[in-house]
Order: sequence, then structure tokens, then C-alpha cells
Amino acid sequence: MPQYRQQGQWRLEGRGQVIDLQTAVKDGILGGRSGGGLLAEKDGTLVTAAEKFDLKKMVDELDSAVGEDVPSVFICPISLEPMVDPVTLCTGQTYERAHILKWISLGHLNCPTTMQELWDDDVTPNHTLRQLILAWFSQRHLLSKKRSEDVQGRAAGLVQSLKKAKGQGRVQALKDLLKLILDQPSVEKTVADSGGVTHLSSLLGPFTSHAVGSEVIAILVNLRLGTDAKTNLMQPAKISLVGDMLNEGTIDTKINCTKFIEMLMGEKSFRSEFVSSPSLLVALLRLVKDERHPNGIAAGLSLLKSVSFHEHVRSLIVSIGAVPQLVERLPNLLPDCLEPALHILDNLSATAEGQMALKNCPQTIPIAVKLLMTSEACTRHGVSILWNIINLAPDVCASLAIEAGLGAKLLFVIQSGYDAELKQRAAYLLKLCSLNYTTTLFMSKCKLTRTIQ
Amino acid sequence: MRSMLSLSIVSMGSFCSRQQPLNEVDAEENIQAAEIDRRIAQETKAEQHIHKLLLLGAGESGKSTIFKQIRLLFQTGFDEVELKSYASVIHANVYQTIKILYDGAKELAQNDPSSSKYVVCTENKDIGEKLSEIGSKMDYPYLTKEIAKEITTLWNDPAIQETYSHGNKLQVPDCAQYFMENLERFSEATYVPTKEDVLHARVRTTGVVEIQFSPVGESRKSGEVYRLYDVGGQRNERRKWIHLFEGVTSVIFCAAISEYDQLLFEDETKNRMMETKELFEWVLKQSCFEKSSFMLFLNKFDIFEKKIQKVPLNVCEWFKDYQPVGSGRQEVEHAYEFVKKKYEELYFQNSKPDRVDRAFKIYRTTVLDQKLIKKTFKLVDETLRRRNLIEAGLL
Repeated sequence: MPQYRQQGQWRLEGRGQVIDLQTAVKDGILGGRSGGGLLAEKDGTLVTAAEKFDLKKMVDELDSAVGEDVPSVFICPISLEPMVDPVTLCTGQTYERAHILKWISLGHLNCPTTMQELWDDDVTPNHTLRQLILAWFSQRHLLSKKRSEDVQGRAAGLVQSLKKAKGQGRVQALKDLLKLILDQPSVEKTVADSGGVTHLSSLLGPFTSHAVGSEVIAILVNLRLGTDAKTNLMQPAKISLVGDMLNEGTIDTKINCTKFIEMLMGEKSFRSEFVSSPSLLVALLRLVKDERHPNGIAAGLSLLKSVSFHEHVRSLIVSIGAVPQLVERLPNLLPDCLEPALHILDNLSATAEGQMALKNCPQTIPIAVKLLMTSEACTRHGVSILWNIINLAPDVCASLAIEAGLGAKLLFVIQSGYDAELKQRAAYLLKLCSLNYTTTLFMSKCKLTRTIQ
Repeated sequence: MRSMLSLSIVSMGSFCSRQQPLNEVDAEENIQAAEIDRRIAQETKAEQHIHKLLLLGAGESGKSTIFKQIRLLFQTGFDEVELKSYASVIHANVYQTIKILYDGAKELAQNDPSSSKYVVCTENKDIGEKLSEIGSKMDYPYLTKEIAKEITTLWNDPAIQETYSHGNKLQVPDCAQYFMENLERFSEATYVPTKEDVLHARVRTTGVVEIQFSPVGESRKSGEVYRLYDVGGQRNERRKWIHLFEGVTSVIFCAAISEYDQLLFEDETKNRMMETKELFEWVLKQSCFEKSSFMLFLNKFDIFEKKIQKVPLNVCEWFKDYQPVGSGRQEVEHAYEFVKKKYEELYFQNSKPDRVDRAFKIYRTTVLDQKLIKKTFKLVDETLRRRNLIEAGLL
């Protein structure tokens, strides 16, 4: 029997290789590409530090993001999970205690892997294996914790250097911080705790250069901001700056600006006068018309839609000529941009100026009619818009609409599976349009047969 | 102009070369013509790299002060000789100011016979009359210590102070206080005006002045050059000369937002802010600025800040729908944003849809503050550079 030695070197029979436990783990014999030895205390006892951790907890916590596989000898053949309490049978095979006991209690009298009959149903705890598993997991756990602390440390460090930086240095620090946040979203809390958000907010003002402002906004849209932070950002001068960047920036900056404003609009303390700026709305409109960047169009429409819910801003939107420009864009829009665009026009049609603008634009009626039935939401908005226009000037607009094929479309709506209220509105609209016609004329205009009527 | 030039060369050539054989004449003419063509091409190319900025705005909106600031920031500033030359200007300003105040006090006292708050006390009346007399002449005497003392005494008279606080009804210049506070320095025999004195000095600009300078930072390396033009602001035949500035890179329009309760120098029935509004509208409509970027400097913010606490914005007809929110810092910001929005709306109302793409930016300025002007100009420079890149399709 070989003499027991703590850090001994065991001779493996037939192999002639001398291996010790530390090397075994370090050199990856038991797996572990990233290597690194077992934790060793000063007195040489292995894994004593690791025993402070709860193995089960670590096994559960260690996510697959670690990137390496758990060594196969650590896995229970029954559950295919790492073992936290390995026990060995008389056949020499090792299993997770709970699972093998269950196996035996179900009446099985053989070893699950070797299928040998069990001459002894005692299970012996395998301390050695347990120690190894504990060591392996603790090591990975500590490394991952360290790496995470490193990242948090880096984030805190970046925030500090940002506070001191000026000029070009400031722009670079902002870029570094943004990259870190995008790579490691977990640094969010550290950034907030080290005063990062407050500092970023203070960087926005009437004298902020575009270079600095665009980076700050890019960072802020990637953080989850609390109510206090958002309220602090809701100052006219800051929002003005965002409006300027919406006008002048690259497409990415513009999209970030729209997201930023939408984020602020979600707050209770938001006031509509913040967005009732002509230059901001003009910038949004320009974004919506920029065919080179479909994601810009979507972002712009989303914000414009949110803005159009504020009654006081609607007349301003109309005054900058949004209506004809939006109507003209409708045919070219991708399907998921149609709904917000129509929603905007629907909101605008609730105002007198909006109705006038819609009526004056010759394309409105034909395009609106064409878009009915493309989706329930589009239909709802289309019907509402048409209702508002036709109500304004029934004589002229009704006939235009009928000429464009509104009758047939409305019939489809009424017969569709759409919402009952929508169908009712469609019916009213059809009635309104039919008022100036005799029944036969109307039916022929709608290309109806008697049966459908 | 080119054709005229070549015509004269041809005629010159034929004139002096009667002795020379014909083909030699041709060759010489061709060389000269080619040389001139080359020079013209070179200068045109050089001109293209020069960004021309035109300062426009009503009188006393701060255009010339910006001009001086640019000189101080980006050029060698004022030399000793030029500084000294401003001494007489400053003295003249002092005399003009105290005269306006004294005459103004008399006028206000007349209009309000029941109250005595505008009545200058008897001891100071003589001083007042004497100074008023001096101020009405064409030449002013040197500001001696004695006269300075008399002016100070008069300035400290409660009636004059009261008049000053109602300065909006008169034509009291904004820097009146600055002048009065520095009288002792001004009256030194060896007085040489400081840079700040020069910035405050008030001379009506006539004609056009221009300076050329290179901006700071990255643009300097690329050899970008700016040329700034300053024209007089008072009402005169603007429409006759404005087209000479066709195609400038940028129009810097100065509007002093603190003058919402003041009247024009040329026409004391007209509110200054309304005049500025009309001028801005007129400028926007000019076809010669179709492609120029518009930078709007909302100037004299420091005076605006103080005034807004005492005089509500609604005294100006354009701002009659203003609703105050509170007081202090918040109110100032709110009022400023209101004015800014009014100007924005004005801009978009007066810009044809196809012109909406030209750059338009509003800056808050206090042109007497050199640091602020430097920061503001950096932003202007950044905007113009980005504009260039966008137009070249690089952004």
C-alpha cells in the first residue's frame, strides 16, 4: 500500500508517469482549458478555501458562459448533471447519491452503467471526487467573480477619468465608456452608483459640442435611467441640444436622439412644450423621409406618433407641412411603418388644421382608400381619417372617395372579422358617402350587385 | 470683368506692337492672357476655401462687438496705437451717456409733474446743464479728473439713478453703468483703454468692415479660413446692397433679446424687438441667402436675465401670449425658451419648403464675454464643418 502523502506524487501503474493532484487539474487532465491550479493554502492543504463555498450553489450559478465543459468524470451517468454528493458502488462506478439510491429503491439490482449484478448494495461516499469537483467549481466561480469585479472596476475607473477629462480626451473617454457598456451590460449599476449618470447629464447644455453630445446620448439610451435622472434631463436647454443633434447628426445619432426623447416622454413630469419645437419636428420629418435608412424612418415615425398624441403640438406638426409629406410617403413605406404613419395622420385629423391639410392634399383620399384592409389597425385609422375629411366637405370628398373605390372597400370591412366598433364606423361612413347618390347610382359606383347590398 | 480685361490686352497689344511682326505679337498676347487666366483661376480657387460670414442685425444688437471679439480671439488683437485711439471714443461715450441721462431726467420730470423723483437736486443742476451743453457739441474735451468727479456726483444723484432704471424709454446705452463705474480710470492722464473697455466702446458702424481669420482646432490644420463682414445696422437702404453678399456661407443674425422693452434710435415709436423681427423676416426672404446657413445669435443674455425679473415679456407685442412660470433661474430659462421658440417659428414660417434643409441654429450669447464667444464660435465652426461633410456626402 503506498504511503499516504498529502501533496504526494503517485505512481500510476503501467504508465510510469508521475502526477500530482495540482498538475492534474492544471494541465487539463481533468478538463479545464483555462487551467490554473487548485487553490492551495499556505500550509499546503488543498481546496480548503473552496470548502467555504456551497458546491450546490456554485454548480447552479455557474453559467454556460464559462465556455468550457464540465469534465466528464464529474458527471453523474444517471442525471447527466455534475455530482454534488458522489457515491461509489461495489462495481467501482460513481453516481449522485440521490439518483442511485432511487435506482436501487425502484428494485434494480444491477449497476446502471456496467449492468453487473450488485453483490453489495452499500454506497460509499467518494470524498476524493467530491473534493475535485468542489475545487474545479470554486476556481471557476472565483475567476468569474474576479473578472466581473474587474469589469466593474474598469467601469468605475472610466467614470472617474471622464469626470476629469476635457476636450478631445473627454470625447475619447465617452467612446470608451460606451464600448464598455455595450460589451458588458452589467456595469450599468456601477456607472450609476459612481455618479456617472449625473455627470453625463451635466455635460449636456447650450455649449455642448456635437461630438460630446452625440456620445453622451448614445450612452444614456443604453442605460436604464431612474425617475430622478430622467427628471434632471428634462430641461429645455438639454432637449434643445438633442433637437439640434437630431438635425445635424449621423443616422445613428438621430436614432439615439429619438429613443432618448421617447424615453423622457414616458415620464409623468414630461410637458408637451418640450417637443413643441419647430426645428425638432422638422428634423423628425426629415428623418422619416430619408429613404436611405429604413430604421431611421421607423424610429422617426415612432417618436412622431408619440408626439402627435399631445394635442397642443398637433397644430405645430401640421404647420410645418407634415401632412402632405407623410401622405406622399405612405405608398413607399414598409408594412410595419404604415401603422404608425396612419396613426399620426389619424391624430392630426382630429384638429381643424389637420383636416384642412388632409383635404387639400389630393393624394390623401386615394391612398387612404387603397390602404384599407391591409391590416386591422391600418383600416381603423384609414376609416377615421376618411371620416374626418369627408365630414368636412361631404359633397366634394365623398364623390372623390367613391371614385377611388371606397364603397367596395368599406363593404369588405363590414363583412370582415374585424372589431365590431370598426365595422360600425365603416357602415356609418358608407352611409355618409351614399347620401348624395341615388341607390342605383351608388351601387353601380361601388360595383355592387343587388345581392351584396 | 474677364472679357473686359482680355479686350484691353488685345487692344493694347495691337497698339504697341505695330513695329513687331505679327506672329510675335500673338505669342506675347497669348502669354499675358494665359498668365491672367491662371491668376484668376488661382484666386477663385483660393476664394472657395474662404468661408464668408455676414453679420446682420438691427442697430446695437452686438454685431460690432462680435467683430471686435473675433479680432481679439483669432487675430493679434488690438495694438497699442489702436487701443489708444479708442480713448477719445470712450470719453465721447461717457459724455453722450450722461447727457442722455440728464436730458432724460428732465423729460421724465416734465411728463410727471406731480412726482419729484426725476428732479435733480439743485446742487447738481448746474453740473447737469454744463455736461448737457458739452455733450451736444461735435468735439468733446478730454475727460479730466474734475469733470469725472462732477459726472460721478451727477450719476449718484437719486433722480439720475431713477432715470437710469427707466432707461428703456430713452436711448440709454447698455454699457452706461460700465462707463460710470470706471470714470476714475478713464480720466487718468495716461489712460490707455483695456481690451474690455474697447469691447464696451460704442461707435456706429458705417459702411462695411471685414476681417479674415483662421478658426481654432482641427479646421486650422486643414487651412480653412473665415472672412467676417460687418455692416451697419441702422435703417437705411439695405435692399440696395444686400445682394452683394449673395452666396455667403453663413449669415450670422444678431438679435439682442434684452431689448424687448426698448425703442428704436431712429424711430422712437417703434419697439426694437419688433424691428428685429421684421428685419429677420426680410433677411429670410432674400433669395441671395437661399443656400446660406443661418446662425441666430440671441444676444445680451446677461441683460435679459436681469431684466426678465422686473419687466415681463408681454410688454412686447410679439410676446403677448407669454405665461410666466415662476421666478428665479427657472423663469429665466422658460422665458428664454419662449423667445427662442418664437424665432424658430418665424424662421420656418418664412422659409420656403425647399429651403428648410439649410442649416439653422440658435445660439445663446453674451458678446461681451470673451470665453462664451470663444465657446460659441467653436460650436459655429463645428456646425459649418459638419455641414460641409454632409454636403460632400461624407456623413
